[in-house]
Amino acid sequence: MREKLILTLGSLGTVLMLWVIYRVFLGLPAEILQGDIYRIIFIHVPAAITAYCLYGVAVIASVGFLIKRNFVMDSLAVSCVEVAQVFTLVNLVTGSIWGRIIWGIWWTWDLRLTSQLMCFLLYLGYLLLRPAVSDPTQRGVMSAILAIFAAADIPLVVMAIRLKNVRTQHPQPVLETGGLDPSFVAPFVVSMVALMLIGTALVLIRLQQESTRREIDSLRRELHAV
Amino acid sequence: MSGFSAAIAIASKDLRTELRTKESLNSAASFALVILVLFSFAFDLGRDEFLAISGGLLWLVYAFAGALIVNRSFARELPNDCLDILIASPAPGWAIFLGKAFASFLLLMIVELISLPVFGVFYNVPWVDSFFPLLLIMVLATWGITIAGSAFSAVTVNVRLRELMLPVLLYPLLIPLLTAAMEMTTALMNGESLGGSNSGGLRILTAFDAIFTALAVYLIEYILVL
Amino acid sequence: MDVRNFTYMVYGYSAAWLIIVGFVFLLVSRSRKIDGELKRLKSLVEDRESEPR
Repeated sequence: MREKLILTLGSLGTVLMLWVIYRVFLGLPAEILQGDIYRIIFIHVPAAITAYCLYGVAVIASVGFLIKRNFVMDSLAVSCVEVAQVFTLVNLVTGSIWGRIIWGIWWTWDLRLTSQLMCFLLYLGYLLLRPAVSDPTQRGVMSAILAIFAAADIPLVVMAIRLKNVRTQHPQPVLETGGLDPSFVAPFVVSMVALMLIGTALVLIRLQQESTRREIDSLRRELHAV
Repeated sequence: MSGFSAAIAIASKDLRTELRTKESLNSAASFALVILVLFSFAFDLGRDEFLAISGGLLWLVYAFAGALIVNRSFARELPNDCLDILIASPAPGWAIFLGKAFASFLLLMIVELISLPVFGVFYNVPWVDSFFPLLLIMVLATWGITIAGSAFSAVTVNVRLRELMLPVLLYPLLIPLLTAAMEMTTALMNGESLGGSNSGGLRILTAFDAIFTALAVYLIEYILVL
Repeated sequence: MDVRNFTYMVYGYSAAWLIIVGFVFLLVSRSRKIDGELKRLKSLVEDRESEPR
């Protein structure tokens, strides 16, 4: 039943994404100032939004684990963080490519890109800490605390980057496109839905792996007991 | 035994131990001085260019020294099961944590105050004119470093590769704090005051201190009783 | 400029897909490994239990 769910979500997401690509490439005209590259916004921003949603779920699951000590919550947290990291990476790479075309440089320390990079680094620490702890309860508690600290840091990161940019007066490349043209809205929303479906499918696969891992742990303990 | 008297007792225990052996004080202070000298070889800048990076340099040095001090904080309790005994004592968890954090804070302040004149001499920086605003920044930012650092020190105390994991986890979290401190220190070295556009940094520092002190004190029970 | 624009956009989309597909491959290979481990452990437990005492 779960396999079917994963398959449905994944295929639905992929089909929707293909529709988006078709619409984006063929349905929309090239923008005068930016040329073709602006079409990348249809993956760049939805990936970021999906990533933020997943990080949010991970933090809620972490708090839930601290309160209830239910290992399913811990598995949900780590699965969401892993998939969120993938989407953040997509966001960073597409943002960098976009920046290369628009501003001529591979990286600008602007608000959006830098805060996404910080998210990536903070939760990378989360993923690095987990294998270093062998006891499952300890691992769950430590990761949960780390996830909460990381999430609390993000607003401060945004404030700090703003401060830095105000002082050093970097030219602020703005990725905001203002109000979206009506013909843009449909592919944008569909792309967001598609990426969220794909993200959910990936999280479910990862959750399955975590429950298998727990089964392995308990079998190992049983073997040692015997 | 009330919480605060327990915290003070633990803080004075840590300080007494440290001031008698001067282990981490010596290593942190020497490390700070070595890095200062190293940077002077790494960069060959004119005075104006140097003033632009002076804040960044100083706080990098302080951050490295801080990681050393904070690492020792909980690691000191590992031999002879001292940590377990502390946890089993009637002192509340938050008192143990705040006591240790306060001791680390004082030790780091000592290292910083020692490094400051050396910094001034090597790099010809006018720190004396703006000493009191600088001291304010140092107090706020150092508290942030020690509170977050002590929390991570407690989390990683039983983890493999603790000395490596602590900086990897701590530094991304500290980026907003360090950015604000660096920006304001550079402003002070350039003769500006802390009002106006620089007050944003003070807001970030106080916000960081408040948020992470509250989080750490609240979550420390989960960390210690593992 | 237009041609380069288009090329980079293709790079961008390809990069995004490669990253996601790469992650899927990572998940699949991890799945295979732990399913194999699970099977092995299960057979070990059954052997132990069916051993005459």
